[in-house]
Amino acid sequence: MDRLRERQGQVITAAVITLLVLVLLATGEKESLVIGVITGSAYGFLALGLVLIYKSSGVFNFAQGEFGTVAVYTLYLLHFDVPYGFALLGALGVAVLMGVVVERLVVRPLFDAPRVTLLVATAGVALLSIAVQIWFGEATARPVGRALPTLDRFTVLGVQISDQRLLLLGALAILAGLLAWFFNKTNLGLAILGSSQEPTATELMGISVKRLSTIVWALAALLGGLAGVLAVPETGGFAPGVLTVAFLIPAFTAAVLGGMTSLPGAFLGGVIVGVVEAVATSAPIFEDIPGSPGTLLVFVVLLIVLVARPQGLLGKAG
Amino acid sequence: MALVEVEDLRVSYENPVLLGVSFEVEEGETAVLFGLNGAGKTTTVQTIAGLLKPDAGKIRLGGTDIAGRPPSKLVPMGVALVPEGRRVFPALSVANNLRLGAWVRRANGSEVDERRELVFEYFPRLSERVDQAAGTLSGGEQQMLAIGRALMSKPKLLLIDEASLGLSPALAKTVFQVVKRINDDGVTVIIVEQNVGVLPYADRVLIMEKGTLIFSGVGDEIQDANLRESYLGKAEE
Repeated sequence: MDRLRERQGQVITAAVITLLVLVLLATGEKESLVIGVITGSAYGFLALGLVLIYKSSGVFNFAQGEFGTVAVYTLYLLHFDVPYGFALLGALGVAVLMGVVVERLVVRPLFDAPRVTLLVATAGVALLSIAVQIWFGEATARPVGRALPTLDRFTVLGVQISDQRLLLLGALAILAGLLAWFFNKTNLGLAILGSSQEPTATELMGISVKRLSTIVWALAALLGGLAGVLAVPETGGFAPGVLTVAFLIPAFTAAVLGGMTSLPGAFLGGVIVGVVEAVATSAPIFEDIPGSPGTLLVFVVLLIVLVARPQGLLGKAG
Repeated sequence: MALVEVEDLRVSYENPVLLGVSFEVEEGETAVLFGLNGAGKTTTVQTIAGLLKPDAGKIRLGGTDIAGRPPSKLVPMGVALVPEGRRVFPALSVANNLRLGAWVRRANGSEVDERRELVFEYFPRLSERVDQAAGTLSGGEQQMLAIGRALMSKPKLLLIDEASLGLSPALAKTVFQVVKRINDDGVTVIIVEQNVGVLPYADRVLIMEKGTLIFSGVGDEIQDANLRESYLGKAEE
């Protein structure tokens, strides 16, 4: 029965993707496909972090975007003085440090509290982080350089792709492979999966569930940091709380769309959300919709998927 | 020589649950802990396994006081608990459940392989289900997996909470027979039970009531008809 449901999810996912691609090619919106996949990759990074934490502790982490923003802020501070590669590593290091600190100071003391308490606590962390950024640097936009400044080297389906965008896509592909290997082949990855299913039994195997929690938060922070340092420089600048404001809701939608507990689902959800947003922004049919047609269309797609399949595209029921 | 010595063990949640429990289990014995629901049996084994911290009292393993130590310290020392309700990892395969069971032995690959072969020797059915998700196994197979997973850590002391719960009498008997084999291979066993069918396999019987130990006996004392009438008849109800 489980296998049947899993197969059903895969069929629906394949149908949604095929339909999306066919519609885009038929309506001449192939540029939206390319731009959407690239933007969606950044959502996918953030969504992977959200799913990791949700799988291991059952909490939606409102501070996930701030791991990325803090990484971008660190990159901005460092990249004038040190080579870009070192600045990137420093930025990711600070994001991971923030993840560990949040886990030790906020999550660990609330380990046995109701999940809603923890959810509100992570929202508090996000608000505190944004407030500190404003306090230190005022609420102004700042420029931040790209890792790869060469512009528009390749053209795919009529869209010129910058090296930075290629880097984002490549990093996501490599990371997806690494995560799949980590969770399927390593003892630590298996222990994290085990603790998300049966924390007490995991403890009884001699595994410290609290130590696993620290590792999961560090990993999620790394993913958030990667989303920040790879996607934000492409836009040329950032303001306080940029990833929370601009990326968190699409990433959350991506995670729910994918199934909230499925890592490949989060990745796929990110790409779907990115493409749908890009279509709504550029297709003439949506021109007359006031406000943000991208957000509207994303939520319409989310509603349709959830009505047809409440556990998301690749999630498991119950 | 006593492998486990429990002395004046007191544990409470919101209210006191264990009110000063003391007993010993000799190395190589199979001890059975009987009692009605709420007697404190599960609390006793969970405290020995490190899932609960005692308010007071001592738990010695081979002479070393282990009271209050977490499972991450106790499993490497040779304590393993098969929890009530099996608690297998439902979405992981049988093979991966066993792999996680060997967490404290993971540095030694050949030892892990040996343990896995031993588990398959005790429970041949598991070797036929190696790639199957644990959540899709039958109740009996899940119990076998839960015991096999605990054995992967190479325990000296195996605690089993409600081994026969939800199993048919024939399957429960099979499980008890395998537990006897495990015990014969040198593992000291403490089983929490409400099923008197385990009695033929017991070296020692401990009976609990309302957080206290009301009977401890070995050998012929276990087979005493009065014992069955006085205590175990009640436990069976």
